[in-house]
Amino acid sequence: METNGNLISLRNVSKHYNKGAVKALDHCSLDIRKGEVVAIIGPSGSGKSTLLRCLNLLEVPTAGQVIFNGIDITDRHVDINLHRRKMGMVFQHFNLFPHMTVKKNITLAPVTLNMKNQSDADAQAMRLLQRISLADKAEEYPAMLSGGQKQRIAIVRALAMEPEVMLFDEPTSALDPEMVGEVLDLMKSLAEDGMTMAIVTHEMGFAREVADRVVFMDSGKILEQNLPRTLFDSPQEQRTKEFLSKVL
Amino acid sequence: MLSDFITLFTNPGTASFVNFSFLPKYAPYFVQGLAYTLLLSVTSVLLAIIPALILALMRLSKSRAIRWPAGAYIAIFRSTPLMVQIAIIYFGIFFLIKIPNITILGIVTLSSFIPFTVALALNSAAYVAEIFRAGILAVDSGQTEAARSLGLPAWPSMRLVVLPQAIKNVLPALANELITMVKESSLCSAYGTMELMWAAKMVAGTTYISIGPYVLIAILYFCINFPASKAIEAIERRMRRGDKR
Repeated sequence: METNGNLISLRNVSKHYNKGAVKALDHCSLDIRKGEVVAIIGPSGSGKSTLLRCLNLLEVPTAGQVIFNGIDITDRHVDINLHRRKMGMVFQHFNLFPHMTVKKNITLAPVTLNMKNQSDADAQAMRLLQRISLADKAEEYPAMLSGGQKQRIAIVRALAMEPEVMLFDEPTSALDPEMVGEVLDLMKSLAEDGMTMAIVTHEMGFAREVADRVVFMDSGKILEQNLPRTLFDSPQEQRTKEFLSKVL
Repeated sequence: MLSDFITLFTNPGTASFVNFSFLPKYAPYFVQGLAYTLLLSVTSVLLAIIPALILALMRLSKSRAIRWPAGAYIAIFRSTPLMVQIAIIYFGIFFLIKIPNITILGIVTLSSFIPFTVALALNSAAYVAEIFRAGILAVDSGQTEAARSLGLPAWPSMRLVVLPQAIKNVLPALANELITMVKESSLCSAYGTMELMWAAKMVAGTTYISIGPYVLIAILYFCINFPASKAIEAIERRMRRGDKR
């Protein structure tokens, strides 16, 4: 399938609940190029998270296609598990596995999926933990860590799969204010390394600074998307202006 | 009227709460009955665990064709008396399947032990399945989402991420099911299983001491189940304290 240089594309994706009574997503189309950082902003309930979760099919669209590396992954004959390996996801509530050590959290998927043996995976986990200065926490359980530490470990757990794209679902919304910085710094360094990223966020300053493009959503629709500076300084849509006037 | 009641505790006759004169002669029957009761209930709950897990996973399936048989099984076993289930399984199924008359451990004759263990286990599986289902549902859905987003297929996500956390949730309920089984297994006495209730019936019938044997086994049941339930409560409290996320 033609990709036009896009790593991942949503084509006319809709997500309905209760037989169409609730339209969480209404004919959304979005293209993300390789290496691009896209921030998705909008009021609560606008469908941002649903849109992000459609990218790796944690939410299965009611209609439309999700094209990843030129393959329509909404096709029933596609093994979604193989494609999810290449799409890391980070959640608002971290979702670390509480019954496993930090190291085991990171190595579980690569080892279980036979992508690495345990010793290679352990070595990789330690390199990743060193990168975020948490190597000394390798044998700790998640309950012993702060929110910022948990989220950074959740990020490197996703990185251990060596993904082509990282999806972030409000990664700093559940953090104490003083821990937001350390998580954003890590995300920024990923962006600088050229990682393709889609980020649902309320951190407007971060979106403006790090994103290549900002997407504004409301009521399940993508209303406007543009360069951060253009979207924040001269929004075209009335609804975008209203939203930005409240949050900036 | 009141004086009649008091004599139940004071007279030395056969209709007395405190007449344990049968004990010196018949104590071995109660010891053996107790051992049989414990063996029967522990074995049947252990046997129930794997079928219960399968039933619980079936109940949680997305497919109606898989959910329905498990739901029907659970509904049938929870909505009919255990006494009736034992009769049907003992006289029905094990009329067709012949078990050899082998005695193990000195007290267990397989031809009667296996049918009753299976009957209790089939019943227990229905209840334990619901315990497992609740335990699995109590694990935060974010855990499954995180596992699936890493590319783990459904079963490895369940086995490596969800089940270990669910089992911790259900251990107290599972232990309570064991206590229930210790009590319920007394129903098997109606079909000649030589467990604790049967021992009491037999002694009462032989000696005409009509109350004492039942008072004795009530005390025995209590002495097992009450400390066990208190121990479970204590473990539950400690687990909750250690359950910081």
